[in-house]
Amino acid sequence: MKRPLLPLFWREIESLFFSPLAYIVLFIFLVLNGFSFILALETAGGVVSDTIAVFLGDGPLFWLSLMVVPPLITMRLVAEERRSGLLEITLTAPVRDGEVVLAKFFGALVFQGFLWAPTLIYIAIIRNYGALPDPGQVVTSYLGIVCVTGLLTAIGLLYSTLTSNQIVAAVASMTTNLIVLIVPALADARQYTALTKVLDPLSFFGHFSTSFNRGVLDSGILAFYVAATAGVLVLCTRSLEIRKWR
Amino acid sequence: MIEVEHLTRRYHDLVAVDDISLSVKEGEVLGFLGPNGAGKSTTIKILTGFLPATSGLASVAGFNVATQSLQARRCLGYLPENVSLPPDARVEEYLDYRGRLKGVTRSERQHGIDRVLDQCGLVPMRRRILSQLSRGYRQRVGLADALLADPKVLFLDEPTGGLDPAQRQEVLTLIGSLAGERTVMLSSHVLNEVEGVCTQVAIIKKGAIVASGSPEELEQSVGRMGELHVQIKGSHESLVTWATSHSLNHRPHDRGGLVLTLSEQDNPEALLRALVEQGSAVVRWQPLSRSLQQIFLDLTRA
Repeated sequence: MKRPLLPLFWREIESLFFSPLAYIVLFIFLVLNGFSFILALETAGGVVSDTIAVFLGDGPLFWLSLMVVPPLITMRLVAEERRSGLLEITLTAPVRDGEVVLAKFFGALVFQGFLWAPTLIYIAIIRNYGALPDPGQVVTSYLGIVCVTGLLTAIGLLYSTLTSNQIVAAVASMTTNLIVLIVPALADARQYTALTKVLDPLSFFGHFSTSFNRGVLDSGILAFYVAATAGVLVLCTRSLEIRKWR
Repeated sequence: MIEVEHLTRRYHDLVAVDDISLSVKEGEVLGFLGPNGAGKSTTIKILTGFLPATSGLASVAGFNVATQSLQARRCLGYLPENVSLPPDARVEEYLDYRGRLKGVTRSERQHGIDRVLDQCGLVPMRRRILSQLSRGYRQRVGLADALLADPKVLFLDEPTGGLDPAQRQEVLTLIGSLAGERTVMLSSHVLNEVEGVCTQVAIIKKGAIVASGSPEELEQSVGRMGELHVQIKGSHESLVTWATSHSLNHRPHDRGGLVLTLSEQDNPEALLRALVEQGSAVVRWQPLSRSLQQIFLDLTRA
């Protein structure tokens, strides 16, 4: 028996690319990133590695887009289908709940890959001005983006499975993203040493400043993202099953 | 093919399905009837594996829908009450996607899609975008999807809902043509339109089954106390006097004469003889069979 993961995945991609929302998100995202690049050029003062570090990790607009884009993509994935009844049609086919979750997750992730792909142009622009960026730094920075986007997409998907209201899903996951991003940074800034010790390994900013932006791969950090994302996806599957008990 | 034993489903305090048992044999068409909110859709959702039961057992094609859900779902086709379709795909593309989901191989898919498009009268619509289809056509796409993987068991939740009379007839004829090779459970709140296609009928009210059997059995079992339409030549009063003298329950019929409600003890032959012997010319002595529709209304009336 052929597994239905692939058709589910393609259906997700199709519906993401057919929805007008996707293009609005793409537009907002590209505007944000344009400014983010200008900001990076100005703050780095001509140092190539710093420019890339700010553009792909230290800049506020970078984090704003990382925080806002995944919830906008994921909010409708399950919530909308639950409301319209499409979920019922999908789940009464011989399909596992986990396969539906995986297809939606990878669909959203690949779609966001299309959002981020145009930012490579900025790297090319830097190159064309004769300043050669360190390929290692560029690769690990993008890997960091994949890791964080993956985790935040899974979180967004979780909220989408919990409600049939897209707005609730989007606001709840943005709030969660904000807390996840801000709390370790706040603890750090206020020098609550005990709290910082606990939260530091979870700090997304920390992951970028110590690893991804430096062109250094830390297997511990990678393992954290893989495990956390997988864990949230398992919760998504359980949450889809919960529909049955309400 | 479909076995349901003591199935119960509660939503918090509300009992949507209350200890129902059903059995549908291979090739039979079960009409699952009841007013809106009686628990028809909930039962079907449990049988298709979308909702679990609070208690009780249900199996489709020999597979327990709770513990062998995937195997059970491979054997069934389902048309939900509200057909929801992705707005962006074309009819053909959507059916191809559904075929892949259901594990239909490529060659079978091509053949199968042509077959169901033809069966459901969708051939001219195959390149249409789903969001542009009228309600009747959406219903047909849903039906085509249900039929696509050639399932042994079909669950059709109000398959004629929202269709015009001609489309209704087409869909019913199609369902009728499936009987024998497939087991069908279809729900409806309109009885007389499914009378023709169902071999079995179960009437559900407030979550419980109040009557079941073949349409004929149902008519007999509920219509035991007969009604008679009697008309004689001459004065109406003499007929009323006669009826009163035999202490018969009676009421006037719209088209003249009387409707007599007979009890178990009454002997229609003796009554007729008595009426003729008193000199009346009997022009009508007609047992009124209660139609299934009437039985259904009587049973489900609150």
